[in-house]
Amino acid sequence: MAGTLLDIAMMHSDTLIIRAREGDKNAQGKLVQLWYKRIYNFAYKFFFDHDLAMEVSQKTFISMYRHIESLQEVARFRSWLYTIAVNYCREELRKRKTNRSVSLHDLRPGEQEDSYHWEASTGRVDNPERQLRQTELSDLLQQCLLELSDEQREVVIMKEYEGLKFREIAEALQISENTVKSRMYYGLDGLKRILERRNITKETIGYEQ
Amino acid sequence: MNNKPDQGTIMAYLYGELSAKEANQVKDYFIQHPDEWKQIQQLTEVSDLLKNVEEKEVIAPPVFMDHAGHASRFWQSGAFKTMMSIAATFLLFLVAARLIGPDIAYSNGEVRISFNAPAKIEKVDPSNPALTPIEVQQMINTALAENNQALVTEWEQNNQQLQATIKNNFVSNSAKIDALMKQTSQASQDQIRSFVASLQQENLQSMKDYLQLSSNDQKAYVENLLVDFSKYLQEQRKQDLQLFQTRMSSIEKNTDQFKQETEQILANIISNPENFKKVNNY
Repeated sequence: MAGTLLDIAMMHSDTLIIRAREGDKNAQGKLVQLWYKRIYNFAYKFFFDHDLAMEVSQKTFISMYRHIESLQEVARFRSWLYTIAVNYCREELRKRKTNRSVSLHDLRPGEQEDSYHWEASTGRVDNPERQLRQTELSDLLQQCLLELSDEQREVVIMKEYEGLKFREIAEALQISENTVKSRMYYGLDGLKRILERRNITKETIGYEQ
Repeated sequence: MNNKPDQGTIMAYLYGELSAKEANQVKDYFIQHPDEWKQIQQLTEVSDLLKNVEEKEVIAPPVFMDHAGHASRFWQSGAFKTMMSIAATFLLFLVAARLIGPDIAYSNGEVRISFNAPAKIEKVDPSNPALTPIEVQQMINTALAENNQALVTEWEQNNQQLQATIKNNFVSNSAKIDALMKQTSQASQDQIRSFVASLQQENLQSMKDYLQLSSNDQKAYVENLLVDFSKYLQEQRKQDLQLFQTRMSSIEKNTDQFKQETEQILANIISNPENFKKVNNY
């Protein structure tokens, strides 16, 4: 993640945020372009579901449009944006629990999204077999993440994939930093057990990195 | 660090969010407690495994800008700005003119612009000119004559200066050239003498060498010639002698043979006189 042009641009988007806060629609549009992928991936890892991730992403940025003028500190934009995303994730979770509906994805995870997966994965790795194995491993790890509690999953995703500092995660979730660290610890510990149960180790996956 | 770090500290250590001092303390603790460090390493391995989750590519939806709030006002239009620029320039010119105080006058096809002083145009009466054509001609002639005089004077001065310079240069150069020629001629006579002497010496030496070589060769040649001639004479004499001996021996053989034949004929005649008679009768 780190080191890409997109990340660098995101780290230096203070001017954009200031302009967006002052009502510059163009700056707001650019912020969406910069942050959409990150929020989508956060939500995708949280739900392991493309549609829900898209839903949460769109709602997050509509909310950002409406409320960015109330943002107090530019430096807290990142945690503020993740706060909105987390809230919408939780909202979607509540809806799913209430409706008790079962998505096709849950029935045959990964298969109804073949076209999406194909489009998302092509062109990055030359070896198709290796790409297939990588995709399978990725899906497997996503399923392991889903076995964590919602609170632990939020923290692990924010830390591992979004690169937030513990302080920023605490701000986004509006809890103490120690609580975040504790959830992270138990999250990793829980994942360790899940991976052991599923016999996923560096050795079994033919670790090539 | 003897106290066991809590979970929060361990997490902050693993993700590099501790200060250097705190990080060292945690590190020291784990050095002292390697078993616990192994457990922590398992968490690190989990973290490493999690990095295998792929990032999903997604295209951000297009954002449509609401331009209602940015409707262009009349004073933001280009034409208005251009007009205002011209007006401002003109106003600036007027203010500057007011401060500087220009005075513009036009008369008889002349425009005169002056600052801080009224423009005055001198009127000239064409019917009453100040100078007549003859006077003007005289003035021109006088000026030309003066100019010519000045030119002649200047030319003469330049000429004199030039001649004096040439003369001086000639005198100094001729003296130098004479000295150089003298030195050169002196040097040449000595050189010629030495050159001729050396040439004569060389010629003499070469002639001597040539004659010496020539006489030696001729001497050797004559000697060789005499030796060859004497050898030739000896050989010739030897061959003549051999020829003479051969002839003599041949004559001697012939004489002996003739003698023997004569004796044999006489013997036959003596031994058979009848046969000799018959033969004569035939």
